[in-house]
Amino acid sequence: MPPFQEMLLVAVLLLLAALTLFDRQLMRACSWFVAFALMVALAWARLGLIWLALLEATLGAALTGAFLFHALGATLHFRRPRGFFTRWHDSVDLTWWRALARLLPALAVLGMLGLALSALGVSPTRALRPAGLGLLGLGLWAFALHRHLLRRLLAFNVIGTGIFLILMSLAGEGAVVAGQGLVGTGLVVALLGTALGALLIRRLEGLAPPHHVIPAKGDGVS
Amino acid sequence: MIERFGLASDHFGHLNGPLVLLAMLGLPLLLGLLGGALRPARSWPVALLGLLPLSALIWLAAAVAGGPSQSWTLELGSLVLHWRVNGLVLVLLLLTQLIVLVSALYAPTYLRDVVHATRRSQAWFWPLLGLLAASLSLIWLAADLLLLYIGLELMGLTAVGLLLLPGKADALIAGLRYLLLALVGSLAFLLGVALLLGAWGRLDLAGLAQVADEGIVLWVAMALLSAGLLLKAAAFPLHAWLAPVHASAWIPISALHAGLVIKASFFIALQLWLVLVPAAAVAASLVGVMAGAAVVWGGLMAWRAAKLKDVVAWSTVSQLGYLLLAFPLLVGSDPAVAALAWDGTWLQLAAHGLAKAAMFFATGNLILATGESRVEGLAGASRRFPLALLSFGIAAISLVGLPPSMGFTAKWLLLHAALAGDHWGWLAVLAIGTLLSAAYVFRVFRYSFVEDAPTLDFRPVPWGMDTIALVLALAALLLGLVAEWPLALLRGPGGGA
Repeated sequence: MPPFQEMLLVAVLLLLAALTLFDRQLMRACSWFVAFALMVALAWARLGLIWLALLEATLGAALTGAFLFHALGATLHFRRPRGFFTRWHDSVDLTWWRALARLLPALAVLGMLGLALSALGVSPTRALRPAGLGLLGLGLWAFALHRHLLRRLLAFNVIGTGIFLILMSLAGEGAVVAGQGLVGTGLVVALLGTALGALLIRRLEGLAPPHHVIPAKGDGVS
Repeated sequence: MIERFGLASDHFGHLNGPLVLLAMLGLPLLLGLLGGALRPARSWPVALLGLLPLSALIWLAAAVAGGPSQSWTLELGSLVLHWRVNGLVLVLLLLTQLIVLVSALYAPTYLRDVVHATRRSQAWFWPLLGLLAASLSLIWLAADLLLLYIGLELMGLTAVGLLLLPGKADALIAGLRYLLLALVGSLAFLLGVALLLGAWGRLDLAGLAQVADEGIVLWVAMALLSAGLLLKAAAFPLHAWLAPVHASAWIPISALHAGLVIKASFFIALQLWLVLVPAAAVAASLVGVMAGAAVVWGGLMAWRAAKLKDVVAWSTVSQLGYLLLAFPLLVGSDPAVAALAWDGTWLQLAAHGLAKAAMFFATGNLILATGESRVEGLAGASRRFPLALLSFGIAAISLVGLPPSMGFTAKWLLLHAALAGDHWGWLAVLAIGTLLSAAYVFRVFRYSFVEDAPTLDFRPVPWGMDTIALVLALAALLLGLVAEWPLALLRGPGGGA
């Protein structure tokens, strides 16, 4: 694949991930996530990993997306979210200092990983690795930044995707099958984790009495 | 050390690999599904069917014990999966089957009479229990990182599912925290595996042990793997999720979780260290410092805890510290020390598994009888429920490490190892830990022997539940007298020497 297309793919992936993680409206963030997962499937397909592309499209995009929307209480007939998490914005007041401080753990992991990766040398599979590292960094930062459960699930999925990209970029000729096994397992785990989280959110919502809803903060956003 | 884990053997012996997998992984799953369909209301059908996997295990033990360790591969297309079984694996499988069986025996009465579980949560309980048993067996038998990853994830998600079954709000919130932690831990593990795969292009442990050379890649990979595993094992600075999780879970699930699930992460971590970085003494003593802190802090928190279940949960943090001492005593130490510590570690794992499960069952009986979850609520319990208190006491003997219990033998061996290696710091940790565990156990007894308690309305405990707690506690106590038998399995030709 020519370098320009590759750069474009990486840029689009990172942009979609950033939108997923930092869009203030949850419905939009989840929609961005579905687009992101489809893009990842496209990336797998372009690398010739058809099985992974199919898995990513079905498990990553379709099913995970369905569970995320289920957590928000949105259905085909009822597009507006009505779950009790939908209007709940993060209760932490974010200052630049705090955001930077939370960036530190992400940077630490990235630094460690960068050292290890530089020791491993350049891989033939091109731009996957910087894309994976970028996704990992973004996801880790978002995971440290947000307290909101659904946002953390989204961040977890993005980190997972970053790790899958790094993994496949590392897996050499002889190890592609093992790499696919690991990524396949990882995709199933990510789906199950998201599904459990989504079902839990719904159960918690069902248990909470209506007047006991966690107060929405700053619902002027949208 | 590779030989001790049964990884180095090229013995593709007479064992029928797929049959072993079917018996060890398929059978619990099948029985779990059956249980979910039938939802047994009594213990005897469970006991009858539960003997099936146990007898399958005895068949396996007869084929393997005393001989060299056996390994085999399973090929799915071009994917090769590596398996092995040796003395250590047999001991762990036996421990798993015992604790799962006892939990299954305890469950029908408990679900029906105590927590009044809904039909739906009962229908979920049994298949999840079978899945948990299968995933644990998978972890013990696995000899490559892909299988370990699958087993770890299966176990983690199943455990979350089981913890959520009570369906109460606090159980859900605790389960949610556990879910997020488990997911983060598994991501760290996967990243570490990715680095190993990238550097050496293979995932089987025996092969990695030969080709992996020390360097920045190996160190970063091990750091990531260990961080993920120690988080899942509730090792000291990463333990905060443990007590809330136990506080709201059902009793048989707490017993399984503290007795087995946490140990599986520890087992994987120790195995990876001994196989990949067997000489990393400095890093291992760092883990040892964490172990010491876990013993002391867990003991103190157990001593101060207000709720009975919190006492038991914090004591798990403390007792895990003893297990973590295996890192400084086994990694990079001289062979004589390592031999003692090897025996002590696995005995401690088994002893703690049995004793902690027994203690959770006894605690459940006490909470059921008094209707109180606080330690103070036990006032007057000594007269009313001698049996439940007796089981608690016997389990405590093994937990504190008094003779003749299995816990005593284990701690004795660890003590010897620390002495032989001149590790005075670890010796102090062992001593302080023993004192602290005695302190929190006797605190429970002090409240139970309060005589001028106001008479509350006590509920009778079904005799089956009392018996189960007592038998399991006695097993933890008396197995100390026949400790030579598991030790022979651990050391024997199958376990290397």
